[in-house]
Amino acid sequence: MMPFAEIVREALSSQAAAKQRTILALIGIVIGIGSVIALVTVGQMVQLTSLQQFQQMGTNIITVQRGWGDKGGGNAKQQGPSQHMTWGDAEDLKANVSGLEMVAPYTSTWGQPLYTDRPLDMPVMGVTRSFADINKLEVLKGRFISDLDGYSFFGVLGAGAAQKLAKLGVADPVGKTVFFKKRGFKIVGVLKRTAEGGMRPYEINPGMMIPVRTSYLFKRERNVNEIMARLAPNADRHLVIKAVKRYFKQRHPGMLTQVRSAEQLIAEMAKQSQLFTLLLGAIGSISLLVGGIGVMNVMLVAVTERRKEIGIRRALGAEQIDIQAQFLVESVILCLAGGLIGIALGVGAAYVLSKVNGWIFFVSGWGLALGVGVSSAIGVFFGYFPARQASRLNPILALRDE
Amino acid sequence: MILVMNIIELKGITKTYHIGDMAVDVLKGVDLSVETGELLAIMGESGGGKSTLMNIIGFLDSPSGGAYHFEDQDASHLTDNQLAHIRNQKIGFVFQQFNLLPRLSALDNVSLPLVYRGVERSQRTEIASEMLKRVGMADRMTHRPPELSGGQQQRVAIARALSGKPTIILADEPTGALDSQVSQEIMEIFLKLNQDQKITTVMVTHDPKVGQQCRRTVRMSDGRLAEV
Ligand SMILES: Nc1ncnc2c1ncn2[C@@H]1O[C@H](COP(=O)(O)OP(=O)(O)OP(=O)(O)O)[C@@H](O)[C@H]1O
Ligand SMILES: [Mg+2]
Repeated sequence: MMPFAEIVREALSSQAAAKQRTILALIGIVIGIGSVIALVTVGQMVQLTSLQQFQQMGTNIITVQRGWGDKGGGNAKQQGPSQHMTWGDAEDLKANVSGLEMVAPYTSTWGQPLYTDRPLDMPVMGVTRSFADINKLEVLKGRFISDLDGYSFFGVLGAGAAQKLAKLGVADPVGKTVFFKKRGFKIVGVLKRTAEGGMRPYEINPGMMIPVRTSYLFKRERNVNEIMARLAPNADRHLVIKAVKRYFKQRHPGMLTQVRSAEQLIAEMAKQSQLFTLLLGAIGSISLLVGGIGVMNVMLVAVTERRKEIGIRRALGAEQIDIQAQFLVESVILCLAGGLIGIALGVGAAYVLSKVNGWIFFVSGWGLALGVGVSSAIGVFFGYFPARQASRLNPILALRDE
Repeated sequence: MILVMNIIELKGITKTYHIGDMAVDVLKGVDLSVETGELLAIMGESGGGKSTLMNIIGFLDSPSGGAYHFEDQDASHLTDNQLAHIRNQKIGFVFQQFNLLPRLSALDNVSLPLVYRGVERSQRTEIASEMLKRVGMADRMTHRPPELSGGQQQRVAIARALSGKPTIILADEPTGALDSQVSQEIMEIFLKLNQDQKITTVMVTHDPKVGQQCRRTVRMSDGRLAEV
């Protein structure tokens, strides 16, 4: 039998003569492998991100938000502006619900912060000292917002926000002034990058944090966007959540309150990634099937077109297994080429998804190996029949072909 | 080394093709002996079964009946792999239509029988270039078949047949696709190989001029061979 290296060399040289048909067949493989890789990578990224986030923050955190929609009866107008969680709600929460150790409400303020006259496109949040404690924020330089800051015009930048300023040539933003709502905010601190996702508000890295009281200077209502809270060490999570809901029902009878716990979030994330798995898995397997059939077709045509070649090789002493190996290797190389492109696209898609969703970008060698393995397997599976057909051609009839 | 007198011994070889219900007897009992170092021409009318016989001699096809001894060994009941092995080691084919692989260079075409023998690359290249020199194609080694004339392609094909150092060369109308002048050049290569290197050659031809140059000629008619 012919040495393996020779078979591969021959196969590569005949692939160089690839036709349009071949490229079309590869698209299926590319999409299929791409989806599988994106699927595996996304799953791993979500897992890693939530793991890191929960490792840092702990799982004894709940968030309270106003829910959307209403429970039938009452419309938005009737609910009026008071149907929001307010600063007062947050202040009284700890005293009214037992089992809460710390409460951190925060606000979001619309507007465009400027450095000199350059727009910074960063979200601005009003926060308290406890916001840093609950979110386990670490200060890189300077300090965080203090509860003694009162109505002062101080700002603390997230890591992404600091990076934005660095691009504008500000190496050290501490002490510099960012303008927001026509007021100058003196930057007093810069944060280290935090793992995004999970319970943490997404605005931390890209945003600027200012004292919550200051943020109310720009608002008509003293509303809060969300209340984060940490449970006391021995508190029963379910009882606390119930109590929080009851508390808000009393204060805002028509308002839906959404209380989320880390546990719930983990379940939600699992559900989300399951949906991804299902969707991409479906796309992946259909594309791989279509691609595989395409490759099989390409190989069958190749066998027909190259009957003469097969006859010549057989006359010169090729065994059936040589011919079979030759076509099988060609099919595998074809699928591997598609697979490699698919891997690149899948990793690219996973990268984009990670940026959009704030997941930690991470590609495992295991996932790549899976992609290479699956594409080779498809090559073997769908190449087997054409290759066998090639090897079983009668050499004389094959030689007579013109 | 064992001295083999008759490389090929055919006794009562028959070949019947079945097309639907019809049986066509192409070979009706062929007897033939080919000695070492012989240059034999097989002539005869078109459709008489010459190519069929060549394929049987070359282990590409098997006879329906009769006895075939190759180098004094019974050549019936061989497996497909054994047949491939014998073709690779013992037979050098030259075809009317040259049958080179168009994607490969002359050198790689000539190397091909050695690839299936597992000879390593550097050694293959050495042997193949030596064979190409022998047929006067030293300056065309990297050319591909479409870049060569018919005569040049047939020289490459002869080099390929020689590269495996076969026991016998089987040439089925090797000059059939060439004009008379080029035909004669190719014929001279065969004659020279046979005279200088004692390479046993069996050649099918329609061309009486080619046939005359062979030391022995047999004629195929009605499925049988007769000495001329
Ligand atoms: N596979 C086959 N099935 C059926 N009949 C066949 C087959 N191969 C050859 N024949 C028949 O056998 C006969 C001999 O064919 P063959 O090719 O051996 O003739 P030939 O003497 O080489 O002719 P030519 O000089 O034209 O090349 C022809 O009648 C042909 O139709
Ligand atoms: Mg013929």
